[in-house]
Amino acid sequence: MQPLRSRSIEVDDDGVQELFRQRGWTDGLPVVAPTPERVEAMLAWAGAAPDHVVGVETVKERALTAEKVAVNAVLAGCLPPDFPVVIAAVEAVCRPEFLVHGATASTGGCAVLLVVNGPVRQQLGMSSAHSVLAGPDRASVCIGRAVRLVLRNLLEVRPGELDRSTLGHPGKLSWCVAEDEEGGLPWLPLGTERGVPDGISSVTAFAASGPRQVMNEWTTDPAEVLTTVVAEIKATMLHYSIWAGNYAVMFPPQLRTVFHDAGWSKADVRQYVYDHAVVHRSDWERVGKRAVVSDRNRHVEYRALPAPEHLLVISGGGEAGGFAAVIPPWLGPKSAAVTAGVGVCFEC
Amino acid sequence: MVTVLDPSFGEDADAFDLPDRPVSLVGATVGIISNGKANTRPFFAHLARLLREEWGVAEVVLRTKSNYSAPAERSLIDEAAHWAVMFAGVGD
Repeated sequence: MQPLRSRSIEVDDDGVQELFRQRGWTDGLPVVAPTPERVEAMLAWAGAAPDHVVGVETVKERALTAEKVAVNAVLAGCLPPDFPVVIAAVEAVCRPEFLVHGATASTGGCAVLLVVNGPVRQQLGMSSAHSVLAGPDRASVCIGRAVRLVLRNLLEVRPGELDRSTLGHPGKLSWCVAEDEEGGLPWLPLGTERGVPDGISSVTAFAASGPRQVMNEWTTDPAEVLTTVVAEIKATMLHYSIWAGNYAVMFPPQLRTVFHDAGWSKADVRQYVYDHAVVHRSDWERVGKRAVVSDRNRHVEYRALPAPEHLLVISGGGEAGGFAAVIPPWLGPKSAAVTAGVGVCFEC
Repeated sequence: MVTVLDPSFGEDADAFDLPDRPVSLVGATVGIISNGKANTRPFFAHLARLLREEWGVAEVVLRTKSNYSAPAERSLIDEAAHWAVMFAGVGD
């Protein structure tokens, strides 16, 4: 393997945590010391040369190398088998359409949500069940945190520096979920729907606002379940941002049963939401935004989705409970969800 | 003792020098790059008036980015090279 290029620092065993805290190299949680041996183990597992460019952040024109990403993955607590997922995630957020500079600097305060698909989920012991949106297992927490530390340490996305979030939300610390692909047909995994070949693992990165939980346990009609979901999306359009973009919706097993029993695919869900998640400019009047409604624009219609395929339908959650989560975009079409293969480029 | 690796990009970042600040704005051309959000319009209009009336600025050039979440386009950066001072960025 090529020699590592990162500057090395000698520190007392007891001084590692203080060193990283003082330099601003941690999110505040304890870190794993990024020794050369641990970083080399990460790179070796992924078969990545230290100078391999994982992605380029175009505003700063910074090439993020596998070595630097690996250092931060070690810091975050990742184990070597996690590293290919971290690489794929960093590749995804560096794609121009993700607009990582805008998403991470914005006052809007979104987080990077990662959705993992494919066999790597089982290999890493990732859970798609209880508390799926809140870091249910080691790998999910560490992979999400690794991306956060990459942003922090390689792109200066620190609160008050590049990160100008007015409020932010808890997902910014770490937000990675494994989709429940075993939860029942006819639903296809998100990665498959987005063009990833069967048997290939993938990561979909999405610049996401905080999740809004909804509940409907009193119907077996899929249209009624989605009426509840659409009501939350429309509320978000009025209370937060009216602009169309990617939205994500997560359904647990109990609600998926409603769709499966009725023969509704993910495509059917997307079409329903596209057709019904519509508001008018005049609707802003009843939520305190009269100042931006005029006679000229009051009848203008706004859809949550530019097209049905912009809805990310994700399976996940514990077996009991008729809860779903609506996860709005950071800001309409400014950032697009991006899917990258784990250990493979399926678009090359 | 343990050896740890620097996780930051700092060592590879290109350094650059800040220019000297002008001592006066009298007769200068000053540029303003708005991010295009609605509240920037009255804010920068007021700033432009102050620059002209109280600071003796000869010309205020107001430009707007095409995407408020992305950096200014190349043409605006090139134009800014002709300004003595530039104001850029209002959060919201």
